[in-house]
Amino acid sequence: MTEDHSQGGPPVAQPPLAQAPQANFVSPKTVAIYGVLTALTAAITIITVIPFPPTKGYFNLGEAMVFFSALIFGWRAGAICGGVGSAIADVIIGYGYFAPITLTAKGVEGLVTGTIARLNGGKKWSSVLGIFCGGSCMVSIYFLAEVIILDTGIGYALSEMLTVNIPQVAIGGTLGFVLAHYVRKSIRLPK
Amino acid sequence: MIPKPGADRSKRMIEMDNVGFTYEAGVEALRSVSLKISSGEFLAIVGGNGSGKTTLAKLMNGLLRPSSGSIKISGAPAESQSIAELSKTVGYCFQNPDHQLFCTSVEDEVMFGPKNLGIGLEESRERMERALSLMGIFSLKTMSPFSLSLSERRRVTIASILAMTPQVMILDEPTTGLDADESSELMALIRKLNADGRTIILITHEMKLVAEHADRVIILSDGHILLDSDVRGAFSDLEILKASRLLPPPVTLLASRISSIGISRDLLTSDEFVFELSRRYGSR
Amino acid sequence: MKGVFDLYTARDTFLHRLDPRVKILAVLFLSLLGFIMTNLIPLFTLLCFIILLLYLTRSTFSKAYFALKFVLRLMVLITVLWPLFDQSGTPVLAALGPIKITEPAIWRGLTSAIRIGCLATVWYILMFTTTQRDLVRALVKMGLRYDFGLALAISLRFIPTFGFTIESIKDAQRARGLEFDKGSIIRRSKNYIAVLIPAVVYALRTAETLSLSLQSRAYGARKDRTYMREIRMRSSDLVSLVIVVLLFAIPAVAKFVFGAAI
Repeated sequence: MTEDHSQGGPPVAQPPLAQAPQANFVSPKTVAIYGVLTALTAAITIITVIPFPPTKGYFNLGEAMVFFSALIFGWRAGAICGGVGSAIADVIIGYGYFAPITLTAKGVEGLVTGTIARLNGGKKWSSVLGIFCGGSCMVSIYFLAEVIILDTGIGYALSEMLTVNIPQVAIGGTLGFVLAHYVRKSIRLPK
Repeated sequence: MIPKPGADRSKRMIEMDNVGFTYEAGVEALRSVSLKISSGEFLAIVGGNGSGKTTLAKLMNGLLRPSSGSIKISGAPAESQSIAELSKTVGYCFQNPDHQLFCTSVEDEVMFGPKNLGIGLEESRERMERALSLMGIFSLKTMSPFSLSLSERRRVTIASILAMTPQVMILDEPTTGLDADESSELMALIRKLNADGRTIILITHEMKLVAEHADRVIILSDGHILLDSDVRGAFSDLEILKASRLLPPPVTLLASRISSIGISRDLLTSDEFVFELSRRYGSR
Repeated sequence: MKGVFDLYTARDTFLHRLDPRVKILAVLFLSLLGFIMTNLIPLFTLLCFIILLLYLTRSTFSKAYFALKFVLRLMVLITVLWPLFDQSGTPVLAALGPIKITEPAIWRGLTSAIRIGCLATVWYILMFTTTQRDLVRALVKMGLRYDFGLALAISLRFIPTFGFTIESIKDAQRARGLEFDKGSIIRRSKNYIAVLIPAVVYALRTAETLSLSLQSRAYGARKDRTYMREIRMRSSDLVSLVIVVLLFAIPAVAKFVFGAAI
């Protein structure tokens, strides 16, 4: 077994709490919010699968959560929760090989969206511009990664971009924007 | 105006014939359940956790479809109707209000259902106002649902189902998390809905509610109907209650324990208990 | 939906007992191997090897089917689409106007599909045999900051919970006459607003409770925290690690040093 089950072990001398080195961890609120947003991004990516009749493909609304995290909690949350949450979802639903690419593509998407959305004092148009730029980054990263790294061929990469990624960004962006707007308006956010 | 549902007791609202349900993972949640529910009844479905209460209720408005057997809603087979169509007849109010409230105001929230059913704005508005008054929360019309207390939010969810004018209302654990006052106020409102002629199906494991309000009780255990009778009959059978992991109200237990002194063993409320004692001993 | 969120199957196989760090590295090296191989036969051998390992995980049929059905669909798509966009090479097998299908293009498409097959399936060796707890612990051991590891553990823990919450919200809105599988894509997506808002509100409330419970359990009180269970490399883990590294290194050296075609 990989685990050491010995309960007792030699007693380890530990300094009392007051003298112990303080951990420079991020705050418990940050851990909780990041953990929860990541989980929600993954769960929504897995569950909200909408058929896309023109190509008999499917797309999901996980994108909305990436944009939401970035708009409400900033670029770091957008990058981490969006990237990691989407990558976990990939692993769970059988696109594991995509996970590193997803981590990058959605991470950059969250990062760019979060950064641009805060410009100009966080006006509505900054959010829209942020979503547009972030979404464009995500679509291009996927396309390039599929062609260059995964070598799926231009045909597959192009069909994926046009039928899945672009509609997904357009719809996810709109929903993410609405969601952020609504949540900002009606809920006291944990800060 | 909401047309008042007819209180004609002879009308069959829900008819289940030999219904079974197995979840995808292979868990058999219900087996050979047959029951008939008439218009105007106040029915309680009780049972321990995992006994199939919620599965049974979800079958009644199409959220789940039976694996075997047939269901008729107001005379028509349910399988040919969508959830949206069924929800015009059978309204299902979920336990946790936070799982459905999402609008910025109470009025939008309550008008959401009627609008989904394709009802015009004017009538939706009328229905909303009527439903809010029925639940005694008309004054909260413009508030945000998220700023309300749990008891108020629960009333909003009931109003939002009411606005779809169903003749049958399923209420899943409506009093969970409410204090005694809030709980009895809510139950009084629900009784009023029943008095207006609506069929009420209460899912609960709070036996006190059942004893005080329901006319008929269905006890579920392990996916089948253990008992289907009037409330008094159900509570006099302590063995069956025990088998289905339910505890009758304390006053019923007490009456049963001291029945040797000659008082009736199937008393449901403290009023009945006092009455029985005074009948027996002739003083107050 | 129940089985979907956790791919782990409790068994007692060699692969289950292996140090999770070795398994993570194995996935990494086997993926890299898939990338450096360019020929059909070596890639096919690699795919067979991965499938053999997957068989040895003794996972359940339903999980294996779930994991593989997407991959198979993708492999077929690539094989079919590749020749349409790759016009190079002879002999030409068929031509329709400007589009021609050439034999080398078909082989290249097939090769690429098999590579994707390798990259997609190799993950499940790790996922089928490692609990989430061990996975996070291994990542922390490999240098992930403890607080980020904790956030990751929290998120893995909450994915199924949120999954059920979202299903329940969907049911509640269906009961209010909302139809998710009717109408145009725009309309369907719009309907999901009624799901996303309650889900987000619920999640943020969860976060608030969670942060209180972290504080009340002395999160971050001291840097030198101890672990009740330590992961330790044993000799069999080391041997496995060496084999995995060699499996990658030998073909890599053959290709890049001696110019072998693999």
